[in-house]
Amino acid sequence: MNNSDMGKYAAGFGLSLVVTVLLNAVILVIKEISTPFMSAMKAALGHHWTTHGALLIIVFIVLGCLFSATRIEDKLDSGKLLKYTFWAVFISVVIIAGFFLPGLNVAATIKY
Amino acid sequence: MPNQGFMMLHALFGILGILFAVALFVDVLNAHEGNYRRIKKLSSAVAILIVLAFLIGGYWYVAYYGADREIIKAGKWPWAHNYFMEVKEHIFFSLLLLSIYLPIAVHGVMPLNNTKKKNLILGICALIILLGLFMEGAGGIISKGVIMGLGR
Repeated sequence: MNNSDMGKYAAGFGLSLVVTVLLNAVILVIKEISTPFMSAMKAALGHHWTTHGALLIIVFIVLGCLFSATRIEDKLDSGKLLKYTFWAVFISVVIIAGFFLPGLNVAATIKY
Repeated sequence: MPNQGFMMLHALFGILGILFAVALFVDVLNAHEGNYRRIKKLSSAVAILIVLAFLIGGYWYVAYYGADREIIKAGKWPWAHNYFMEVKEHIFFSLLLLSIYLPIAVHGVMPLNNTKKKNLILGICALIILLGLFMEGAGGIISKGVIMGLGR
């Protein structure tokens, strides 16, 4: 029985979005603290950012197809998905913006 | 010159994507059978515009940004790169994924006949608008960082 108010692709790719948005922040932290990982990302597609983006898009599509095929729409409604999406984006933004905070050393660069 | 052209197109498509997301937000607030087709078209337009902004901005970043980065880091606003560019280039991925998902969600929840379905689309639009506005603001700070680095 379908308890969902969403189609299978909206549910499957929605859950994939949640996972991929969080994965974005995880990849960022790993590549910034691990020189071998950063070097491997640079070597893969010529630039770490290109590899990072390509990886996320591939994961989003693959997970979206997988979740869509597992009747995830029976367990997920649009209310839950909105909540998961909001928290995933919020957590990801906090991790990314927080990770680079030391770079925001404005006071040290002001010439008095 | 291509450097400036790519940059202008990146900002242009980004702004258009945000504006279309605002239009979609308003349309979903007032959703009825008469505007379902427009809601679907607007969601696709947001995805296309943000993908274009991403591809053009990404190409510019990889091909041209290196020289600007050195100017910014040697100038009075090194944090324009050390913070705002670093944050912008990574948060953009979330904006891109939200935008690609938007038309999938819109088509998947049609018809928009209850509050939960509408809220999902409104929430995604709101996130796209907020992240998009941050992208535009950060882009402005990064551009100003180059100007400060050049001592103008």
